[in-house]
Amino acid sequence: MSNREENALWSIFGYLLSGLIFWGGIGWALDRWLGTGFFLLGGLLVGMAGAIYLVWLRFGRD
Amino acid sequence: MTGTLNLVGYGLSAIGPAIATGMIFAAYISGVARQPEARSVLQPIAFLGFALAEALALFGLVLAFVL
Amino acid sequence: MRSLVRFSAEGEGFVPPSSNDFNLPPIFGDNAYTTKPILLVGLSVILISVFFLLSSRKAAIVPSKFQFAGESVYAFVRNDLARDVIGHEFMRFVPYLFTLFTFILTNNIFGIVPFLQFPAMSHVSFPYVLAIFTFVIFHYVGIRKQGIGKYVKEIMFMPGVPKAAYVLLTPIEIVTFFLTRPLTLSLRLFANMFAGHLLLLVFILGGDHLLKGVIGLKLISPFAFAFGIGLTFFEFMVQCLQAYIFTLLTALYIAGALADEH
Repeated sequence: MSNREENALWSIFGYLLSGLIFWGGIGWALDRWLGTGFFLLGGLLVGMAGAIYLVWLRFGRD
Repeated sequence: MTGTLNLVGYGLSAIGPAIATGMIFAAYISGVARQPEARSVLQPIAFLGFALAEALALFGLVLAFVL
Repeated sequence: MRSLVRFSAEGEGFVPPSSNDFNLPPIFGDNAYTTKPILLVGLSVILISVFFLLSSRKAAIVPSKFQFAGESVYAFVRNDLARDVIGHEFMRFVPYLFTLFTFILTNNIFGIVPFLQFPAMSHVSFPYVLAIFTFVIFHYVGIRKQGIGKYVKEIMFMPGVPKAAYVLLTPIEIVTFFLTRPLTLSLRLFANMFAGHLLLLVFILGGDHLLKGVIGLKLISPFAFAFGIGLTFFEFMVQCLQAYIFTLLTALYIAGALADEH
């Protein structure tokens, strides 16, 4: 595997983790604050979508 | 012995993405080995597939700690 | 150490190894600076320095075996890691990458050297410090190369995206660069060393415990020991691989900070 590919794989992992942590964290905090239960799931989904979008922008298009 | 069942559940849920990642890269490697010039076409597809499978694994990881 | 104490008490059940096995008491008296990991890190520094000083002191055109060993490690880091990844400016970073690689490798391998048998990197603070070094270096290099404004702008804003998407994407980029990268870098090394040491403890202590049991259990214990020995070789592979990956990712991050566009 070339270094570009190794770099891409670790970057993808980092992006997905960051997206989930950041937006999921916001959802979790909103849930704690408002006493609801759906912001966490929404936040995680938003973070996942954002991270996959970012991966597509960075590695998916030519 | 004490522990949380969440981690057992996460372990089970990680099997799927693990197999998926293996299959994606197996297909990618054999595709590039058969036709090296197809690499630039296959690479984004393989990475996106990897990202989608990996996202589910990380989703499970986060939920195992949060719930 | 603990296993001797544990098995001298007859009739006590098997205590599975846990994270308590990593909190070793100070070796000399009550001084908290003489725990086993700290002494091992000191020993590794001495060993590395002596080895490379000796192997490079009488450098000859026809190298001795000793010189050849030292030079091949150096050549591996310089050519395969630094030059291939970073590109034409690689020579500035070879000292750091080389130190990083040999330091992590030696400390990891201490995990399977008889009588030492403890990887210092299984204490999370050591990988944290190494990751902080890497973190500071690659951001410093990027800021020096491109100027602070351009560097931050490049991290935060992907080109070719509708304006509204920045609300979604910019936080992810910032978290990736400033939190996830150093965190995953250190936790990957830590988790591999921790889990590997725990795995060896399970098999060796378990085999030891089986040997104390009834005759049927005694017959099983050689298999546990054989597995422990096999896993030791597996651990050796993992330890080399983790040292390589840590150095490779450091080089990749530096290369990313140096590049004009990602």
